[in-house]
Amino acid sequence: MLTELVTMIDGSALQRGALFLLSQIRGFPPIIQTVHILGVTAIMGSTVLLDLRLLGVALRSHRVSELIGRLLPWTWAALPLMFVSGIVFVLARPQRYAMNPVFRAKFLMLLPAVLVTLTFHLFSIRDREFWETSPGRRALGKAVAAVSLVLWLGVVMAGRWIAYADYLIPVEE
Amino acid sequence: MDESVGVLDGLWMWLEALPLSARIGESAWFPFLESIHVVASTFLFGSILMLDLRLLGRASVSHRISRIVAEIVPWTLAAALLAVLTGFPLFSTRATHYAHNIAFQIKIVLLLLAATNMLWYHLRTARTIASWDTAPKPISAARFAGMCSVFMWIGVMLSGRWVGHLL
Repeated sequence: MLTELVTMIDGSALQRGALFLLSQIRGFPPIIQTVHILGVTAIMGSTVLLDLRLLGVALRSHRVSELIGRLLPWTWAALPLMFVSGIVFVLARPQRYAMNPVFRAKFLMLLPAVLVTLTFHLFSIRDREFWETSPGRRALGKAVAAVSLVLWLGVVMAGRWIAYADYLIPVEE
Repeated sequence: MDESVGVLDGLWMWLEALPLSARIGESAWFPFLESIHVVASTFLFGSILMLDLRLLGRASVSHRISRIVAEIVPWTLAAALLAVLTGFPLFSTRATHYAHNIAFQIKIVLLLLAATNMLWYHLRTARTIASWDTAPKPISAARFAGMCSVFMWIGVMLSGRWVGHLL
């Protein structure tokens, strides 16, 4: 399915358009990458900070329920921004990304990262104090936060490693 | 002026000639340090943004500013330390090139401005914090510091990302 998708994108108007933007407009790649990195910044300042709060190491005077309501909207706003700023690069060179094992690893971590954060948020929407009401819930929150933290930091680091995949896996020719 | 540049260039050449610099530049250490550098710098900006938005009266207005400073700034400084510790080895791999890279130069200037802005806020502006600590909208000097911080860090991110495009 992935191969078909790549074949479909390759040579399409969408692919040529993305490639044109990236190769012909001076400064376009670093500006779009910066937008992507500012999205990462929002993730760090929202989901990651919330995880640190749940683990009990940061922002202890802030209530968990308050932080969920205030911070997580930043996560949900950042993700579409990062999707748009990221997909430009994928559309321009679909082969390169589809074949890249680090790119795959990034999305294998991103999917559960988003699902964990979303599930966490939904429980809090249904019952605002859900994650604070009992020692058991707080312990569960800590476990979720630890998983979320590892996944999100993994996604960010993998994102930077995409360009260096050949350091990890020798290129087969 | 020319002479001082010459002295610095000597330093950069010495730095990049170190065996350790070459080892980092030619191995997976470079992307490893770079990925940590990205985590540290985005966390730095992501954390200080919370304080900046509070200073601008845009977020957490029910919390004391001094409390947010106490809870956030140690994290920001720890991230800054990590960013410097990972950034310097990256710089050392091609020190002469980076020192003459205009994006890198702009980044360093913006970093110094951001640090000055932070110091100015904490050493001067925050002296009178007792009278506006709980104010949803603090005094204009504090709001100005928050705004400067946001724009300077966006500039650091942009110029930092641009460094690699001028190789």
